[in-house]
Amino acid sequence: MLRVSNLQCGYGSLEVIKGVSLHVSGGEIVALVGANGAGKTTLLNSIVGLLHPWHGKVSINGRETTGQPAWRSVFNSAVLVPEGRRIFGDMTVRENLVVGGYRNAARHLAIEEVFDRFPKLRERQGQLAGTLSGGEQQMLAIGRALVARPRLLLLDEPSMGLAPLLVKEVFRAVRDLKEHGVTVFLVEQNAVGALGIADRAYVLETGEIVLEGDTADLLHNPEVKRAYLGKGYKEVWE
Amino acid sequence: MNIFDRRHETMARAELELFQLERLQALLARLRRNVPRYKKTLEGISVESLKDLAKIPPTAPRELAAAFPYGMFALPLREVIRLQSFVGPGGMQLVNGHTRNDLIQWGRLAARQLVAAGGTAHDVIQIGFGEGTFAQALGYMLGAEMIEASVIPQDAYHTEYQLAMMQSYRAGILVTTPTQALKLATAIELRGIDPQSLQVRTVLLSRPLPPDEREILRRALFADIRCGFGVSEVLDPGLCTECAKGRLHVNEDQFLAECENGELLVTTLAREAMPLLRYRTRIACKIDREKCLCGRTGAVITPGERLDGRFRVNEMPLYHNQIVAVLEQTRAAGHPFLLNISEDRVDISVKVTGELFADTVSRMENLRVEIESEFLNRLGVRANVSFLGPKAFEERERDL
Repeated sequence: MLRVSNLQCGYGSLEVIKGVSLHVSGGEIVALVGANGAGKTTLLNSIVGLLHPWHGKVSINGRETTGQPAWRSVFNSAVLVPEGRRIFGDMTVRENLVVGGYRNAARHLAIEEVFDRFPKLRERQGQLAGTLSGGEQQMLAIGRALVARPRLLLLDEPSMGLAPLLVKEVFRAVRDLKEHGVTVFLVEQNAVGALGIADRAYVLETGEIVLEGDTADLLHNPEVKRAYLGKGYKEVWE
Repeated sequence: MNIFDRRHETMARAELELFQLERLQALLARLRRNVPRYKKTLEGISVESLKDLAKIPPTAPRELAAAFPYGMFALPLREVIRLQSFVGPGGMQLVNGHTRNDLIQWGRLAARQLVAAGGTAHDVIQIGFGEGTFAQALGYMLGAEMIEASVIPQDAYHTEYQLAMMQSYRAGILVTTPTQALKLATAIELRGIDPQSLQVRTVLLSRPLPPDEREILRRALFADIRCGFGVSEVLDPGLCTECAKGRLHVNEDQFLAECENGELLVTTLAREAMPLLRYRTRIACKIDREKCLCGRTGAVITPGERLDGRFRVNEMPLYHNQIVAVLEQTRAAGHPFLLNISEDRVDISVKVTGELFADTVSRMENLRVEIESEFLNRLGVRANVSFLGPKAFEERERDL
């Protein structure tokens, strides 16, 4: 579904992603976890084409998409839910969803499905999106992406800035997507939450993948525990 | 088909290589950060495909010895919950560390071998390695527990007692060493026991045996004979799984095996505590990547002889220099000697020179006892010492 090979990219002369390879197979939820500044968003942006890779290849659904403009990724059935939601605050909930389905002739059907999935959005369909709570805005951002009927959904920090209960709700919604046949690439700083719902995961540290594995194994990995579960030590050899 | 982890053991070649490359790149990043030895050697090396593996300098056994005990660890000692000591090349002491995840993974890999040998949750699996070596028994025990079989663990039971246990508990699978299997076969014959009455379906041996020796054991124990293969520095058991066709498949989702100048090189892709990069195993091998009818896609390995002169006595690894070192500690130091290595003991013929000769039997007898007890104490192997005059010594030299 998604394959990234030896991807390098950055800003100006600063190399942020230093040769990353990863893949997501159809029907999987794959998480990419990493600390703040590890390069998660940069990697995602270069996958969808918001950033031009310096080196390496990206292919989505078996088609090479390296360097293609971001708007074309939806043609390959891959849709990004960006960090910080980026919903259109001055538009209503329904209008946001219509924008999401601009390429989908049957968008009204898809919008109804989104309302079935997230009933709160149906209740607030005429409300300005900017007035929604953080959790509802995240549901709207995911719903907006779903209206395009993606086969691959790329989620950038969906739990950011949300209260713990809402985080649980968002992750539950992501897990439900898998049951409906959507493949998910989930980029998260909240390692415990992401590893709780994903099948496999990659750990990104300063632009390099340092670990790959099944999520159950990674939760017991000492390096993951050190970086994300507050178990710290400075020296490798104490 | 008896496959424990169908997803990984039968993974399509293209997907397998994708996993291997991703895991290798992650491993390189981890080693560069955490292991000083690799920080130096991996500088400026980037691996974009599996073909680039050849750019990475191999890791030699002496580097493990130089970094002993904890220098090759990629994690702090507090994360390492098991230290598995073993004899490395030249008889040096080496150690392999395991984190909790490493042990879970070891159990899964050993389970692959046990399931391939026909083990199920309904079986009683008896693990009896006899005297000498225990490390492999611990791996098989994790594997047997992983498949939830009823496991009888390794213990210091003698052959007769093991035989009695086989009769009492009706073990379906016996995991043992070739030496111990032979001892059991002899005991069965001596006692006039019908091997069919034992109900052992499969005997899983700790190391590969040639077909003729397998056949002898198959007849004597009336059971299928299967063999595992591993390398202590990497993982033993767990490196390979022998399928029903008698082929040793490398568990390639976890290990990258290469054959360089006829020698087996192994990279551990998923080990946490002590990952190794292109480790020179000092074992000759052939690697074949043709399809196997068993369904497994891992490369088929045919291990050959040791390239470092290691031999085995009672399943204990032994090197010539260790024997010399022991003799150097006795009054026979510096005297010519001849060795004859058999399955369970070392026969040493010492040339009696004027300097060594004593005219009383008791003095020579004392020297014999001294040498034999030094061998038992220092190497854990039985020795049989004989003293030969110059002429007899030359004759024996010719015979050997």
